[in-house]
Amino acid sequence: MYDIVNSLINVAFGWGWPGWVIALISHLAVTTLLFAIAPFQMLFLTYYERRAIARMQDRIGPNRVGPAGLFQPIADGVKMFTKEDIVPTAADKWVHFLAPCVVVAPTMLMFAVLPWGPGMVPADLSVGLLFFFAISSISAVGLLMAGLASSNKFALLGAMRAVAQMVSYEIPAVLSLLAVVMLTSTLSVVQLIEAQAGLFISTADVPGIPDLGLGWFIFTPVGFLAFIVFFIAALAEGERTPFDIPEADSEIVAGYMTEYSGMKFGLFYLAQYVLNFLLCAIAAVIFFGGWQGPGVGWLYAQAISPANPDGNWVFNVLAGFLGVFYLLAKTYAFFFVMVWVRGAFPRLRVDQLMDFGWKFLIPLTLVNIVSAAIWVALLRWGPEQGITFTQNWAPILRWGVAFVVTLAVNVGAYIALARIFTAAQAEQGRIDLDEYRDTLTATLR
Amino acid sequence: MATVIQIIFGLIAALVVGAAVMVVTVRNVIHAALWLIACFFGVGALYLLLEAEFLAVVQVLVYVGAISILILFAIMLTRQVTGEGVRQLVGGWRLWLTAAISALLFAVAIVPTVISHSWNLPAPPGPPGTPEPLAGVAELGRAFVYEFLLQFQVAGVLLTVALIGAIVIAFEERARRRRVLTLAEEHELRKRLAQPPPVEAPVGEPAPAPRATPISEGEVQQ
Repeated sequence: MYDIVNSLINVAFGWGWPGWVIALISHLAVTTLLFAIAPFQMLFLTYYERRAIARMQDRIGPNRVGPAGLFQPIADGVKMFTKEDIVPTAADKWVHFLAPCVVVAPTMLMFAVLPWGPGMVPADLSVGLLFFFAISSISAVGLLMAGLASSNKFALLGAMRAVAQMVSYEIPAVLSLLAVVMLTSTLSVVQLIEAQAGLFISTADVPGIPDLGLGWFIFTPVGFLAFIVFFIAALAEGERTPFDIPEADSEIVAGYMTEYSGMKFGLFYLAQYVLNFLLCAIAAVIFFGGWQGPGVGWLYAQAISPANPDGNWVFNVLAGFLGVFYLLAKTYAFFFVMVWVRGAFPRLRVDQLMDFGWKFLIPLTLVNIVSAAIWVALLRWGPEQGITFTQNWAPILRWGVAFVVTLAVNVGAYIALARIFTAAQAEQGRIDLDEYRDTLTATLR
Repeated sequence: MATVIQIIFGLIAALVVGAAVMVVTVRNVIHAALWLIACFFGVGALYLLLEAEFLAVVQVLVYVGAISILILFAIMLTRQVTGEGVRQLVGGWRLWLTAAISALLFAVAIVPTVISHSWNLPAPPGPPGTPEPLAGVAELGRAFVYEFLLQFQVAGVLLTVALIGAIVIAFEERARRRRVLTLAEEHELRKRLAQPPPVEAPVGEPAPAPRATPISEGEVQQ
């Protein structure tokens, strides 16, 4: 974007503006664009979710407003805008007012590091991945503010549940990403995507693999396990159905949103759907190559880029469109899985949620980190790090050995942990039942 | 460019100082905690202005995302101190004494720095062999596992001990813990309690359907 604005103002018009003005203009343009995109994603996702869940429940879903009900979200938005804004008398006015802003702002900031296509990232931070999760943890403060300021016990309960859940499931999410960071030894989201070129095998692991943009981490045992854990944790962070206890409408009305109406409620709703979109997108970026796909790499090689300054701008546009198409296709596919899970599973109980996170997912990710270390040792390390027995192997053989070993470790860990976990849960249920019977019979006699 | 950075620095510094003043002057404890979060966030922005990206992100992740949540939870769980008009812990001459001691301690820390620091000058190059200032994640990580390995591991052990201690303190005795049973569990329990099922219903009538109500005293005695 900086290059485009620079060439337009300083080359085409010849005004000779200083660099920081151009940087300011280009960043403002990108920000405006993203702020326009985010609400439209939310509108589309609500429509998409309602249609998909309706199909699963043998209904039709919204179909009256516009062609195939496509304008239903806009009608809902108008309704939301024109509703009366009610603030409870007992509420803490300013905190009550600020809470939705504190929830929405971080979700918008998270767009800053999301790459949409080759060379299309708003800010290529060297710690982009960490930035994403650091910023996402701010919205927990907003939820807690909403719960505290509403002076309503349902809101407080919902906020406490939401924060406990977010804090607990951040750990498996970040630990599963740590395995991927070990594979690539970078925290930059852009370099993470570039490491996923190839065909089933990443070109970073075995040189000479044809680059079809399909060397995704999901095809390695480490990446696969990390993806499963990350996606479950993303469901919990986005408060999607098996983990939607913070706003369980059959228990605590609407959780922390209980005392909100009108556009403030709309802001919470917006934050939730934008967060879900971003979590799906970042899952696609980290494990499914983001904009990587057949053709994008070839197109971008012909385009204007820092590596190739005299390319053709037509290829920039083509590569951009194809990259955004791949990214959005993967993102919507993940969102469909989220809807599908919502249609298929009932809500978990709080203790089940905590047990699953702390006693199953975290040990699994710790084992995954060990197998990531094995992968790196077998594939990347040589005599200078003390690994001598692999130095005469061909790269493909090293890749194969690493694949088999890490697959064995991960599958073994999964089976062992699943057996321990189910046995422990059954035992727990039995003990609870026995205890209850004992106390009951003791009080009766 | 430098002017722009000066202006941004001024704004962020004003935010940090203003928020810090609000933390100690506001009477409502929850508001104080929220101002503290704003202060943390401003410090993170200052790190970003100094081009310490990693530190800025970690500041947000640890202080805004975790420690502030801990503070808010602690306030919520000790609800009786949150109201307005809470009595000051110290008053009268004790207050002035406390203030004087605090100011003295702060001066001990800050005055030598203020006097000996050469302001607005580039840092003097150290003797040859001085390591470069730490720049990024990779350098920090390398320093942790080579140079400061002992400190790193001691800190890790300390945190683990704190974690275990928290679990031990928070661990409730099993006998006093009671969870609400699900309907399926209650049904199972009722089946177990009614050891010989007394079938006294007249022949021809269907047996009464199992009720899903919680077990009452009368029901068990039947």
